[in-house]
Amino acid sequence: MEGMESKMRIRKGRNKYLNGLREFAGIFFKNKFGLIGTLLLAIFVFMAVFAPQIAPYNPMDVRSIGVAKPFSAPAWIKIFDKSIPDDAVFGILGTDELGRDVFSQIVYGSRISLLVGFSAAFIAVFIGTIIGLISGYYGRIIDEILMRMTDILLIIPGLPLMIVLAAMLGPSIRNLILVIGITSWPSIARIIRSQVLTIKEMKFIEAARAAGCGDNYIMFKHILPNVSPLIYVNTAINIANAILIEAGLSFLGLGDPNYVSWGNMLFFAEQYQALLKLAWWYVLPPGICILLVVLSFIFIGHALDEILNPRLRMRR
Amino acid sequence: MSEFRRFIVQRTIYAIITLFVTFTINFFIFRIMPGDPVSIMVSERILKPSVVEEVKTRFGLNLPLWQQYLLYIQNLLTGYLGYSFHWKEPVINVIMERLPNTILLLGFSTILSVIIGIILGMLAAWKRGTKIDVTIITSSLIFYSLPAFWAGMILLMFLGYYPMMLWNIDLFPIAGTMSRPPPEGFFERILDILRHMILPATTLTLISYGEYALLMRNTLLDVLTQDYIVTARAKGLPERRVLIRHGMRNALLPTVTSVAISLGFIVSGATLTETVFSWNGVGRLIFDAMMMRDYPVLQGAFVIISISVILANYVADIIYGILDPRIRYGGYGE
Repeated sequence: MEGMESKMRIRKGRNKYLNGLREFAGIFFKNKFGLIGTLLLAIFVFMAVFAPQIAPYNPMDVRSIGVAKPFSAPAWIKIFDKSIPDDAVFGILGTDELGRDVFSQIVYGSRISLLVGFSAAFIAVFIGTIIGLISGYYGRIIDEILMRMTDILLIIPGLPLMIVLAAMLGPSIRNLILVIGITSWPSIARIIRSQVLTIKEMKFIEAARAAGCGDNYIMFKHILPNVSPLIYVNTAINIANAILIEAGLSFLGLGDPNYVSWGNMLFFAEQYQALLKLAWWYVLPPGICILLVVLSFIFIGHALDEILNPRLRMRR
Repeated sequence: MSEFRRFIVQRTIYAIITLFVTFTINFFIFRIMPGDPVSIMVSERILKPSVVEEVKTRFGLNLPLWQQYLLYIQNLLTGYLGYSFHWKEPVINVIMERLPNTILLLGFSTILSVIIGIILGMLAAWKRGTKIDVTIITSSLIFYSLPAFWAGMILLMFLGYYPMMLWNIDLFPIAGTMSRPPPEGFFERILDILRHMILPATTLTLISYGEYALLMRNTLLDVLTQDYIVTARAKGLPERRVLIRHGMRNALLPTVTSVAISLGFIVSGATLTETVFSWNGVGRLIFDAMMMRDYPVLQGAFVIISISVILANYVADIIYGILDPRIRYGGYGE
């Protein structure tokens, strides 16, 4: 009997949680930015998961080299210009400098962007939140040391620092994730810390302390839930920035040469003078994809900020 | 006034300490780079023996580490940053040759994007909830999400290569900071540099105005819900006056700080945009120096950047202290 009662309690608790989530989803999807951002993201997640099924060729496979002439235009261009010979066009988005299918590369590229974006942002948000929590909660000398450290890191310009680290560690996906993750946490730590400073002074924290709660318990059970809206917003924005940085570093030739990523594609486009050859089908698609996937996270972040940030809510 | 003086002294000491800490980190970082310390600071393979000797004595490369550190600080204070392996020139010359290009490009586009951002942000906050507001927010978010280098490539392809290849029109220069050979005459030369600057400056302005617009909008909305705005409205002041005299004056504070800090960073250049447009600036220099493992140039560039950023932060603090008296009486972090 007792077991059943506790089971029921758990179910009741879960229902409450689910109801809260459902209610939040209702508000979130009513926000146009939230809805469009989520839909955009869903498209790219679908593309990344089903890449082998969607892409007609495997761009990592050497056999896909020379499937057509190098720098072939998309096949549908013939609708507009019948004078182009049949062997100068290929596929949905033409071919690259080695005659590989651009469309297949675009599809597989979504995997790298999402992987690097999520992992790097996870590292940055994790470190930033822990440091912000500890710094804000304990204050005094610990705060002083951690914040001076953060200040110094904020002085170093981001991209040049990442270029140095990425070039030193060598080109690989893991290193890109590490480099972006461990250089992006300081601003998050600052934001979390200032929020913790406000929450720390509230009455319920005092009450928890009077009830004999330990520091760790207060930090993780009472303060963390109250800074979580900030964490969600910053995670979304951080993923967007991480994807932009990954594309930038890859464009400079610091990306992983063993994988196709949108940044790598633009690096090769630049190297093989796709601009001079007016190969718009090779230059436009990777950039549009970077733009859209970054935009999806920026829209989601903006929607979360509008909903969760009381400062920006409409006063009625 | 003594409060204000104490505030300035406190900020000055803080800035100097930060400067020394960054110098120290800069010293040690390049000692733990892969390779032995002597070969990091000077390359015997590439440079002339006389230059190698000079660098070795000035940095004391065969002395104990703490003496090397003192010499390094002394060299910094006298402006000696070492000798570049790749460009075979003193580091300070290598950097100074590119610094004006970077300051010109980044300074121009930063100021332009700040002006555009403030105007659009103000407009959006003023017309809150209307179509204008939504349009400004959406466009700011879209341009923020643009990868800078790709935006540059697109501008270059459609405004540079297409007119050139298809119709043989030289609409915008394809690459570089000025024509080769440079045109005769002072004004012709300035016009030539400006013509080269249009596309990279447009790129940088497009990708950075959105951040200022959103910051301006959010702070202004925050200010407009304060009690003194309600009071001003209740007094029957015209809406325009409330917005500009009471709203903007307070809302500009965070923007001023944010602008001052970004002005400090312009010295670090814009590696990606400079790469696309072959703009001979500091951003590209840092990348090239890293690829060539030209550590003295890299170290020198980071020293110059940290000086500029710390100085900008210091100025931002002081301006904030002057504009907002609450800061100097409250103190920081309390």
